[in-house]
Amino acid sequence: MTLLEALDKNLIKVPLSSADGNGVIDELVSLFAKERNLSPSEEKSISEAVKARELLGSTAMDNGIAIPHARIEGLDKSSVIIGISRLPIAFGGPDGNVSKVFFLVLAPKDNPSEHVQILSSIAKAASSQLFVRMLLSSKTKDDVYQLFFE
Amino acid sequence: MKVPYSRILVYLDGSEGSINALMYSIILAKSTGAELHAVYVVNTKALGDLVRSHIFVDQEKAEYQEDLKKDAARHIRHAEKLASSKDLDIVTAVIEGSPHHVILDYIKMHGIDMLAIGPVNAIRSRRDELTSENDRMLRTAPCPVLVVRESDDIWEEFGEV
Repeated sequence: MTLLEALDKNLIKVPLSSADGNGVIDELVSLFAKERNLSPSEEKSISEAVKARELLGSTAMDNGIAIPHARIEGLDKSSVIIGISRLPIAFGGPDGNVSKVFFLVLAPKDNPSEHVQILSSIAKAASSQLFVRMLLSSKTKDDVYQLFFE
Repeated sequence: MKVPYSRILVYLDGSEGSINALMYSIILAKSTGAELHAVYVVNTKALGDLVRSHIFVDQEKAEYQEDLKKDAARHIRHAEKLASSKDLDIVTAVIEGSPHHVILDYIKMHGIDMLAIGPVNAIRSRRDELTSENDRMLRTAPCPVLVVRESDDIWEEFGEV
């Protein structure tokens, strides 16, 4: 599965309403849980896995994008949940840089190759300044989704 | 270009599509007498890029690299087992690096005259950075490339060989 195949318009939120990093993770996981009909305990367990991974080192890049991620036991396929915040969020970025665009990547435990490929594609896309500017100026989830398929 | 092909290489990436390509290649090698090679590439280039972008920490990179090596070993064992079930010799290798570069080098080094890969994506984006490794190999391989689509027929045909 590629990044384009993992994208789902229903897993995009613009704008995010949270004002801090943990809140953003909870908000994105909640969107995923609602879409996939997960139980509250499953939702909590995913949030905790993503936060535990962030404790090892922030996934915020220096250009306003953060890519929190985790491999989740029992997940049948990879998912990418995208959120864009109007407020700058302190997410532990280098030199105190704040983040506004969040790609939460959740992948099954047993397919490391696919997870690496999806993360790598996001990192490559995020290295384009023009692409980042267009993401930041997106007003709706349709705008964001369309950016990947133009 | 040599016809019939004498050395076929199938690229394994851990996906179901690449298993289909492997099975198709075994059928093809069996029917043409070609030598079959199967290579799994541990994408250490992507792992390094992810650390440089702050998406992976060093510890995580090491864990993924280990998991990818285990995945590679599992797929290579599977390839050997499938080939053996059809009384076919297969040359296998696990190589680290950037998949499309490694595969291109392997083709040149081993005189491969056909590359078999799993499905390529429909063109849904013009963004170069979203191009898959299969797409890159299709575009840059110096030999003919066989793109094996996902299909149940391959499993049936494999059973009948």
